Amino acid sequence: MTVATLLLLLAVGTAAGLDLVSGPQVLLARPFVAGTLSGLVLGDPLTGIVVGATLELYALEVLPVGATRYPDHGPGTVGAVWLGSTLSGAGALGVAVFAALVTAGIGTRSLLLLRRANGAAITRAEGALAAGTPGVLARLQVGGALRDLARSLAMTVVGLGVAALCRRFLPTQGPEAWRLSAVAIGAGAAGALVGAIRTAGRGPRLAVLTGGVAAGCVWTWLRATGGL
Amino acid sequence: MRGTTRALLRLFGVQAGWSFERMNGIGVGFAAEPLIEAEVPAGQRAAARARSAEFFNTHPWLAGLAVGAEVRAEADGVAGPQVERLRTALSSPLGALGDQVFWAGLIPALVALGVMGALRFGWPAVAGAVAAAVACRVAVTVWALRQGLASGLLVGRVVQGSWLPRAGRPLGFVAALLVGLAIPRIAAAALPATHAGAAPLVAGVALAGAALGLRLGARANAVRLGLGTLTLLLLWQAVS
Repeated sequence: MTVATLLLLLAVGTAAGLDLVSGPQVLLARPFVAGTLSGLVLGDPLTGIVVGATLELYALEVLPVGATRYPDHGPGTVGAVWLGSTLSGAGALGVAVFAALVTAGIGTRSLLLLRRANGAAITRAEGALAAGTPGVLARLQVGGALRDLARSLAMTVVGLGVAALCRRFLPTQGPEAWRLSAVAIGAGAAGALVGAIRTAGRGPRLAVLTGGVAAGCVWTWLRATGGL
Repeated sequence: MRGTTRALLRLFGVQAGWSFERMNGIGVGFAAEPLIEAEVPAGQRAAARARSAEFFNTHPWLAGLAVGAEVRAEADGVAGPQVERLRTALSSPLGALGDQVFWAGLIPALVALGVMGALRFGWPAVAGAVAAAVACRVAVTVWALRQGLASGLLVGRVVQGSWLPRAGRPLGFVAALLVGLAIPRIAAAALPATHAGAAPLVAGVALAGAALGLRLGARANAVRLGLGTLTLLLLWQAVS
C-alpha cells in the first residue's frame, strides 16, 4: 500500500467517524458508503461495495438515538475493505467482517470516552457557561470536534491494525472457510431483521416489512435462477 | 436576519460537543450565539447565552427549530423562565419526531436504496444516496431555523401544523418495505458462490439470530452474535 493510499484510507475512516458524531449525519458514517469509498481508493470498488453492504446489515440494527450505546462501524469498514481486497478464498468476507466487528466494538467504547471527555471539559467551564462568557461555547464545541477527529482517526488506525493482524493470523482458505462468510452474512441479516422488526412494531408496518422481505427473497431467487 | 448563515453552518455540527451532562446543549448554544449577538440587546446577551447552552436533547436535524425559537423569544424580550420552559417543552417532542421521521424513516430508506443501487449500478448509486441525504439535511436545517425564527414561542403550534408530524408514518412504511427488500438482496450478493450449503446456513443463522435478538434484546445484538459465532468457527477451524 502506498503512502497516498494509506492517507486516503485514513481520510475516509476519519470522515466516517466524524459524520457519526460531530458531522452532518449524511450517510458518510454508513458502512456501504465508507466501504465503497475505500474500495475506490484501493482500486477495487466491487469488494468495497460487497464488504460495505454486508456490514450495513449490522448497522441497520442500530437506531443512533440520544444517549444509547451504539457501535461505530465506519472506521472499521475501511480496514475490512482493505483486508477483503488483499485476501482470497471463500472465507475472505468472513474474516473481513470479523475484523470490522472487533473494531466496531472498540468504537463503542471510544464514543463513551469521547462523551465523558466532553463532559469533563464542560464541567471545567461551568463558571464561564453560567456567566454567559463570550467564546466559551466556541471553545467547547471546537474542542469536542477536535476530540472526535482524533478519535475517528485513531479508530481508523485501529481498524487497519486489526485487519493487518487478521490477515496475518486468520485462515480464509480451506474446505470449511466458506462457513465464515456465510455466518458473517447470516449474523448481519439477523441484526438487520431485529432492527427492522423493533422499529416496525406490531402494526401494519410489520406487515409491510414482512412483505418486503418476502418480495426480496422471491426477487433474489428469480435472479439466481435466471428468471430476472 | 444577521447571523443566520453562521448559525446554519454551526447547526450542521451541532453534536460535536455532545455530553451526558448537557447532551446537545452546548451545540445548540453555539449555533444560537451568532443570532444572539445580532438580535438580543447587549445587556441581555450574557443571560441569553447562558440559557441557550443549558441541558437540551433533540434530534440534530431539527435543532434549528429550537435555536430559532429561543433566539426569537430572547429578541422579543420574553422573560428568562419562560424561555427555559420553551426549551423544556421542545426538547423531547422534537427528539421523538426526528427519530421517527429521519432515523427510523428517511435514513434507512436511503440506505436500503443506496445499497441495492450499489449492488446493481456500482458507486454512482452510493453517490446518489449521499447527495440525497445532503440535500434533505440542508433543506430540513434551513426550514427548521427559519420556522423557529419566525414563530418564537408559537413554534410548537407551527410544527404541529407542518409536514413534520405527518411524514413519519409514510416514511416508516417506505423504509420497512425497502429494508425488507434489501436484506435478502445483500445476503445473496455477498454469499460465497462456491458452496451449495451457504444459502441454508445464512438463512439458518439469520433466523436463529433474529429470534435470539428479539428475545434477549441488546445483550444479543448483531455485533456480539457475529463476533461470537465467528470466533467459535475460527477456533473450530484451528483445532480441526
